[in-house]
Amino acid sequence: MMWRKVLSVSLVLGLCLFGFAGAGSTETIKIGVVGPRTGPAAATGAAFEEGIALALDVINGEQGGILGKKMEVVFEDTGGTPEKAASGFEKLITSDKVVVTVGESHSSCALAEVPIADRYKHPLIIAEAWADDITAKNSRYVFRAGPCNSGVVKDNLLGFIKDYGFKRVAIVAENTDWGLGIKKLAEDGLTAMGVTFMTVETERQSQDHYTELNKISAFEPDLVLAFIYGFGVHYFIAQANETGLFPQKALILEGAGPPSLWPEFWQNVGDAGNLELFLSRMHSKVDFNPVSKKYREAYTKKFGKEPTDYKSRSIYDVLLVAADAIRRAGSTDSEKIVDALEKTHLEVGSGVVQFGLEKGDYRYHQWQPPMLIVQWQNKEQVVVYPMNVKTGELKKK
Amino acid sequence: MQDFLLYTTNGLLLGVIYALSALGVSLIVGIMNVINFSHGELYVLAGYFSALFARGLGLPVTLAALLAVIMVFIFGLILERVLLRNTYGNDMASLIITFVLSIVLQNAYLLIFGPYPQKPPGWVTGSTHLFGLFYYGNQRLAALGVGAVVIAALFVVIKKTWFGKTVRAVAQDREMAAMLGVNPTMVNMLSFGTGCALAAAAGVILSPIFPVTPTVSVGVSLTAFIVVVLGGMGSLTGCVVGGLVLGLVQNLGAAYVSSGYKHFFGFFILLLVLVVRPTGLFGQKQL
Repeated sequence: MMWRKVLSVSLVLGLCLFGFAGAGSTETIKIGVVGPRTGPAAATGAAFEEGIALALDVINGEQGGILGKKMEVVFEDTGGTPEKAASGFEKLITSDKVVVTVGESHSSCALAEVPIADRYKHPLIIAEAWADDITAKNSRYVFRAGPCNSGVVKDNLLGFIKDYGFKRVAIVAENTDWGLGIKKLAEDGLTAMGVTFMTVETERQSQDHYTELNKISAFEPDLVLAFIYGFGVHYFIAQANETGLFPQKALILEGAGPPSLWPEFWQNVGDAGNLELFLSRMHSKVDFNPVSKKYREAYTKKFGKEPTDYKSRSIYDVLLVAADAIRRAGSTDSEKIVDALEKTHLEVGSGVVQFGLEKGDYRYHQWQPPMLIVQWQNKEQVVVYPMNVKTGELKKK
Repeated sequence: MQDFLLYTTNGLLLGVIYALSALGVSLIVGIMNVINFSHGELYVLAGYFSALFARGLGLPVTLAALLAVIMVFIFGLILERVLLRNTYGNDMASLIITFVLSIVLQNAYLLIFGPYPQKPPGWVTGSTHLFGLFYYGNQRLAALGVGAVVIAALFVVIKKTWFGKTVRAVAQDREMAAMLGVNPTMVNMLSFGTGCALAAAAGVILSPIFPVTPTVSVGVSLTAFIVVVLGGMGSLTGCVVGGLVLGLVQNLGAAYVSSGYKHFFGFFILLLVLVVRPTGLFGQKQL
């Protein structure tokens, strides 16, 4: 009788497993998200989660899903480290069987993922990793619907410096792919403009910036470009204030953006945060289009507060782009999705996404959203650049 | 000259904190022959307690800091009793237990406090124009002063008090100390608690300047181990000298070579010491 019991149990287990596998493979289309939920930029993971929830409301709610199925998101934590990002991304493709992956917030992580996307011929849409090299590798499977270093420097930073007449600029950059990449572009741009500048590098994980600040103070700049991502930039700003540099002698423009919007910003910098400048893709008084307005209203309704960290909208946007591409491809086949992505013409919260198709440099598969330069003035965000959308005047002291 | 003075002041500050944090590791190694891998997590725990008591309960910052150190001391006593006491004589078992404990604590912090930095309020505000040459944060100066006082107090306790004598007796010859009436188990327990309290002291002193996060503990532990190896395993004097050397080398290296590789200089000097004098600057096991 034992064999009957064994057979019965095996049959039941087999049916259960088949049922689960069947349910997983037929009822949803899985999309992978890669981003930091732990580590120094874990706040980005929280922003991503908010954006994912809002995007799923739109895609599975009012849009009625994709190809007759619901979209399911599998979020893999990168911890902000390339090795963890690479293994997490590979797991999404091979184990979770996602059809497209979106996200990222660290260039070093995205650069580790590019060869994996190539190896598995898997579409990857970067939201917030800025190093030019990510798209400059000209991978057929890698797209970026978000800022890149060249776009930010050329479209925003250099114009801001020129239009406001800054004369001496100090650059402090973390020694990462993003930091060193954007530093080099800023140096080249300032050289071409004839602006005097100096550069100092710092460690990404460093909490103490007195050494760098002493070198910067000796240069007597009127503007400091701080290319430090994560909480490190909070410490830099607080210590710049302690050492009498900011805002007494120079303004600080934080070149990453979200760290100045994280909930811990004011706890970490105290009153020293006043007059700090930062890059952003979003401001409550600047709506780029109806989608950005709709996003803001949906965010406020769902979470009971105004959206601050623009990376929630960045992930929202790329999920809409992915859903649109799968829908137009009419299939989850990666080659068809890539073909559809190349033909994208979709209005999202930051503008109309349309990827570059000419191979040769970083512009291939790149779409650069418009960016804002915002200044904290008495804990209020004031847009000071571009000039045509500014909501107030730049304050220097 | 102005630059050199600033870099040296900053090096001294970090050196004192490095020493303070490493003294706990050294004390535990010297007496119990246990390498506490969860040392950094206890530093972080004190930072969290300090922030919680000051911001959450509204206690005065100094009282919050003191309470945090006491809480970590008690936590250390419990850890010794529950996890470590049965591992004495088995170095590998205690190593693995403290290593696992560090991972468990990191994840517990992540779950309880989230990934964001927690910062207790500063004890003082503003900055001082030091030597008439540069501005230096008052909180840093306070940390330097309090750190030095705590280190001095530890030396007085170890060298001049009855408790210190029993601790040194156990470190030198456990069996002989037991025959003379010292209770080695109790000394172990109190020493482990004191080692944890030293990590906590470093945590509460430094967290108003550098907020704590769940993973910042890895760097704290690593730095403490570098200082202990640099100064000589189990040597308290070596710890202080090692901490100061590391703080100064890191800051002067960052200033005059490259600030992008601050931690490289620490590892470089560690390698140099290990090659030239493998027992560290002050030999071994001399409390």
